[in-house]
Amino acid sequence: MTLLARPDAPAAIAERRRNRPDLILLAAMIILASVGLLMIYSVTRVGLERSDLPASVSMERQMIFVAAGLIAFLVASLIDYREYSHLVPYIYGVVLFLLGVVFLFPAVKGAQRWIDLGPFQLQPSEFAKIACVIALAGVLSRPRVKLPWLVIGRVLLLVAIPGVLIFLQPDLGTMLVFGFVTLVMLFMSGLSGRQMLVLSGAAALGTFAIFRLGLVRDYQLDRLRVLLDPALDPQGIGWNLRQSRIAIGSGQLLGKGLFQGQQTNFEFVPEQGSDFIFTAVGEQLGFVGGILLVLAYALIVWRLLVIATNSRDRFGAMISVGVAAIIAFHAFINIGMTMGIMPVTGLPLPFVSSGGSSFLAFAFALGIANSVWLRRSPLPAEYRDS
Amino acid sequence: MKFSSRLVIVSGLFLLMFSALGIRLWFISIAQGAQSAQIVEDQTWIEIPTQAPRGEIVDRTGQLLVTSRFVPAVVVDRRFINTDQAVDLQQRLSGLLGMPVGEIQAAYDKAGINARFRLATVTTDTAYRVTEQLSDLPGVSIEKVPERVYLVGPTMAHVIGHLGFPDEADLEARPDLDLNVRIGQTGVEKVYDELLLGTNGDLALRLNRRAEVVEERPPVASVQGDTIHLSLDLQLQELVESALEQGVALSNQVKQQEKSEGIDFKHETERAAAVVLDVKTGAVLSLASYPDFDPSLFVTGVDPDTFALLQQEQAFNNLAVSGLYPPASTFKAITYVAAEEEDLPLDSPNYDSETGLVHCNGRMELPGFEEGSPQVFNDWYTGDKGWLNLHQSFEESCNIYFWTVALGTWRNYKDTDQEDIIQDWARSLGFGEATGIDLTAEASGIVPDRALFDQWKEEQVENPDEPGRLDPRRLELEDGPWVGGDLMNLAIGQGELIATPLQMAVAYSAMVNGGDVWQPYVVSEIERRDGEIVRLTEPTLLRHVDMSPTTTASLLTDLNKVVTTGTAARAFESFGPGLDQVGGKTGTGQTNANNDNHAWFAGVGPLDDPRWVVVVLIDEGGSGGRIAAPVGRYIMQYLMGVEPTPITAGEKAN
Repeated sequence: MTLLARPDAPAAIAERRRNRPDLILLAAMIILASVGLLMIYSVTRVGLERSDLPASVSMERQMIFVAAGLIAFLVASLIDYREYSHLVPYIYGVVLFLLGVVFLFPAVKGAQRWIDLGPFQLQPSEFAKIACVIALAGVLSRPRVKLPWLVIGRVLLLVAIPGVLIFLQPDLGTMLVFGFVTLVMLFMSGLSGRQMLVLSGAAALGTFAIFRLGLVRDYQLDRLRVLLDPALDPQGIGWNLRQSRIAIGSGQLLGKGLFQGQQTNFEFVPEQGSDFIFTAVGEQLGFVGGILLVLAYALIVWRLLVIATNSRDRFGAMISVGVAAIIAFHAFINIGMTMGIMPVTGLPLPFVSSGGSSFLAFAFALGIANSVWLRRSPLPAEYRDS
Repeated sequence: MKFSSRLVIVSGLFLLMFSALGIRLWFISIAQGAQSAQIVEDQTWIEIPTQAPRGEIVDRTGQLLVTSRFVPAVVVDRRFINTDQAVDLQQRLSGLLGMPVGEIQAAYDKAGINARFRLATVTTDTAYRVTEQLSDLPGVSIEKVPERVYLVGPTMAHVIGHLGFPDEADLEARPDLDLNVRIGQTGVEKVYDELLLGTNGDLALRLNRRAEVVEERPPVASVQGDTIHLSLDLQLQELVESALEQGVALSNQVKQQEKSEGIDFKHETERAAAVVLDVKTGAVLSLASYPDFDPSLFVTGVDPDTFALLQQEQAFNNLAVSGLYPPASTFKAITYVAAEEEDLPLDSPNYDSETGLVHCNGRMELPGFEEGSPQVFNDWYTGDKGWLNLHQSFEESCNIYFWTVALGTWRNYKDTDQEDIIQDWARSLGFGEATGIDLTAEASGIVPDRALFDQWKEEQVENPDEPGRLDPRRLELEDGPWVGGDLMNLAIGQGELIATPLQMAVAYSAMVNGGDVWQPYVVSEIERRDGEIVRLTEPTLLRHVDMSPTTTASLLTDLNKVVTTGTAARAFESFGPGLDQVGGKTGTGQTNANNDNHAWFAGVGPLDDPRWVVVVLIDEGGSGGRIAAPVGRYIMQYLMGVEPTPITAGEKAN
């Protein structure tokens, strides 16, 4: 760090002392959560009414998660993120433990991802993503010119252990998130072109091995096949994808209006409250609604990158970048899936899909980023030269 | 590379990802949006035609014979069934409905992709059981569908007809047909199918992908088909059908008795037919064929064994309109009328030109055609009935007299335009072509003449390997295969002449009503559900044959003599009051050595002002006077308002 380079720097520093949270980040999250609540109500009310349940019961349940998420954001903002660097082994340990515990519970729809707490099903893999980001940020917190292979090895080992557990659930989507985040964080930490090539080669080889050894289940293969040839319809996946795509398309420019979705209201689209919720957005709010939703994610990612730039240390920067990678990847894979350009995975749309674990985990992650923002470097980035 | 530079690269990656989403979103909702919107609209609304109940059928008094009721049916909509669910679904349905899986699968495959089809009609109990499990049966629903109900069982079955699924030809002719809905296959059910079908309703439903109804448009109700009023009378029909059954029993009883006396028979008597016509309009008052079947068998599909058995019995054949028999002596009435009207010349060794009488001594000897060995024609009776005129010959059914008419015609008119004068009379009275009755499978019959024989000869010469219709020796004849003997045969209703009982009834009607040949019909009016008469059958006069009233009058007198003192006298002994008002003619049709004779009777009444004609045919029943005449008498007693007396054997007569 050099000396103050510009004469107006003191004023900038004074402005920075005013401890204001990242309101744009918070606002974007609240907007997404609100859209989520409306869409959840929209797609569940018909089915609920037919089952003689109050039409809003699913939405109300999600409202509890949103409220809890806002508290999590607040709590995470108040905790000094630097504390986490000491807590990394504990956080990591707890997450590994929980990832093990899921196997004590019976499979739901062929997968063991949840810990049944009665009214609430905890999904540890959602928290594992954030935990891994913190753990990786810890390992990669020291700025280096070159990234030694030893460090890369530690990073990969840290990711591999929860990765294998999640692979066993199985949850291929979350594994992809791990891979993407790891790659982005390694890159940010000075991964060289050669190292990247070697890692990519190893990843390709590993993927090939997994397929060759038959470790991938048939339905997972089908999901990939159907992406290449939608005319195939193994287990109705092609049908679902097509229904989802035409539902979004049928919204056209401005959508059919809130609660007016035929495709989603009449359950032509599967999992419409959770993984396929973007279908409802596209159908009811149209291209404009969809684009605004995508922009909301872009806004969050932009803010997270700005926070990374302004972090007082590399640890905070790495956390912010990691969280940005998770959110960008989730949005990309999930929305891409509903539009037929990404394979079908169980990745939720952050803050919008119904589900407690994912909302809490993402809200907490943004809270950590906000904590980084609140404790940012006293000197704005543009005044620094390193 | 600096941290900030790397951050720029990562930002670029994220930007790329979000841009990809934006572009894709633009592509599917702007570029392809309208198209998708249409698909969504189309697939959420489905239109279900609601089948109209078939129209009712009533008899001439308004008595309900056939109606429709609503029954539950299992309907399968393949649009809501994923490929991998099909096998499981078929097995579940098989268990629930007690239908073989193979049958369900066949129906499923036949219906085709995205089809909605009716699998089966079910009992209320089964319907409840299916309803309880609907959540496990994707694409399955229970609907009320109309089903045919035949209230009088096999009575009038051949007129009413039966239902069956449309075949490819039906679907080609009527592309609107639903291949899951049975249509009329025979009888009135077929001829009037389009009127009976009614107008299907329409139900537009918005369904979710679990086939649950979430919205409905106001349904368009189906309109039941028109009500068909038959000209037939149920009470008379029941009596006629019972009479036929008794006639068949009588015939078998007589056959057994004769067998014990040393006269063997070829077959048991199994078939019979009868027609009662209104001579003034052609309206069919009764039309029966024995054996019969119950059209109810076809409502939900007849089982193959029952079908095969009934088919073997010829139960589905309506012998009254499709059975072809040599009319035998009943045809003498036509020769009689032709002889009277045309003053046909008589000529034969038994003819005395001085007195104009013919010697009915049972035997006529001819020098034989082409100067060959003499030919002997034996009449059906033995002994000498003396010298008879036309009227006496008709009453006694003397063949020799009618041969004399034929020979006279042959010898005088051969190779002139009057050669076919007897056949022309037969044709104008309705023989040799279908009457055009509003029923199915009507046969035309044959009235043979020189032209037909020449044609047969030609076919036979061209196709020497196929069995021909003519005796090969005829092909050698210099003057062609048609000879005088053929006309002699024709004059007594034998030889190649064949006709349906209905044609016989039409011809007798014309002869007794003064020459009006009416087209017979079974449907007298068609009424819409709201009671409006859509169509009232106007009797169709096929043609008028010029006949002098004296011929008609003398024929009626002679027909009465047949039943009072002639060949049917024994059968009519028990007639009771009104015998002076009825007449008739017996006939015993010979085919070949392998079959027993067909018993005929044609009756008419009341003679003062003829209203109806009765024709009875007992297929291989034996003697007309003995077997058919008592059956005819039984029916005519009823028509004359006399209590019918038991059907017992009449005189063994031609």
